[in-house]
Amino acid sequence: MTAGDDVERPGRAGEEATAGPEPVRGRARLRSAMHPRATRAQGVAALLCGVLGFAAAVQVRSTQDEGLAGLRQTDLVRILDDVSERGARLQAEARDLQETRDRVAGNDRVAALDEARDRARVLGILAGTVPARGPGIELTVTDAAGQVGSEVLLDTLQELRDAGAEAIEISSVGGPAVRVVASTSFVDAGQPGSGAGVEVDGTLLAPLYRFLVIGDPSTLQTALEIPGGVLEVLDQRGAQGVVTQEQSVDITSLRVTPSPRYARPAEADQGSADDG
Amino acid sequence: MIAALGLVLGIIAGLFLEPTVPTWLQPYLPIAVVAALDAVFGGLRALLDGIFDDRVFVVSFVANVVVAALIVYLGDQLGVGSQLSTGVVVVLGIRIFSNAAAIRRHLFRA
Repeated sequence: MTAGDDVERPGRAGEEATAGPEPVRGRARLRSAMHPRATRAQGVAALLCGVLGFAAAVQVRSTQDEGLAGLRQTDLVRILDDVSERGARLQAEARDLQETRDRVAGNDRVAALDEARDRARVLGILAGTVPARGPGIELTVTDAAGQVGSEVLLDTLQELRDAGAEAIEISSVGGPAVRVVASTSFVDAGQPGSGAGVEVDGTLLAPLYRFLVIGDPSTLQTALEIPGGVLEVLDQRGAQGVVTQEQSVDITSLRVTPSPRYARPAEADQGSADDG
Repeated sequence: MIAALGLVLGIIAGLFLEPTVPTWLQPYLPIAVVAALDAVFGGLRALLDGIFDDRVFVVSFVANVVVAALIVYLGDQLGVGSQLSTGVVVVLGIRIFSNAAAIRRHLFRA
């Protein structure tokens, strides 16, 4: 059928039989064929080689140019399937990413930030790091007999906390003021009954004491006035407590944010694991 | 020599004339090129064997191209066109390699 077919058998047989002189003969034949001669064989070979070169060049060019145009219908269908499937996949991915982006960058982020700020403000009020304002009471405690010691002030404070006080400041009228927080301590400055005053968190407060309290005014007042309550105890000690309800109490004294040296926030999930 | 010249001329003509391949020919042209390449390698080997015959070369060249195109056409009609053209290319590639090996042994003794 082909030249390769026609020559394959004799060529291989001849090569194996006469391996030695064959290459020389082959080269000589090639050299002789290289000499341009206007034989019919040369012309025909040139023509067919020209056709081959032409077709190959055209094919290479069309392959480079056209891409999809030269493909078969089945191939095109397969490619179309692939492309549409990939398109659907990418579309789904794009949708996911878009949702994620909206969640991260959209309104939710602003809301989260606002919530965090609100929390920080609320915690700041509890920790005494930000000023507070709101309805509440002013409690003034006179101490004519010098009988109001640290334990009385502490009881007063507990009573106020029980009644829902949210921010408390203790001051001596005309003197220093101390913001009351969870760790606030009361220490008698001198001998009991001396009237030397009370150290609150290391700050010496002398009578008259003044409590500024933010909370529900009527609840706070009621808590102080109950029988056996703070005001009655003060009365028994020769002191006097005066409660005035205020529409707006300003607590301006601040406390530096304590930075814990040892305690660190524990991971939430770790804590629950320990609990379980 | 003239054959090599013809090959170069054909390539140049194909590159510079930029003819458009007709649609009906598009599936067959690549296979036909590979088949013709096989025929040319066979002819070169026959030349080195000293049994080159221009009549055999022409017939094998044309028959190669026609049969290759026919197989692809038949494959297209049967719905296995791409597989069958792959098979044709593989077979022709093997023949080209074996012919090239024979030519190499002739020229380089290796």
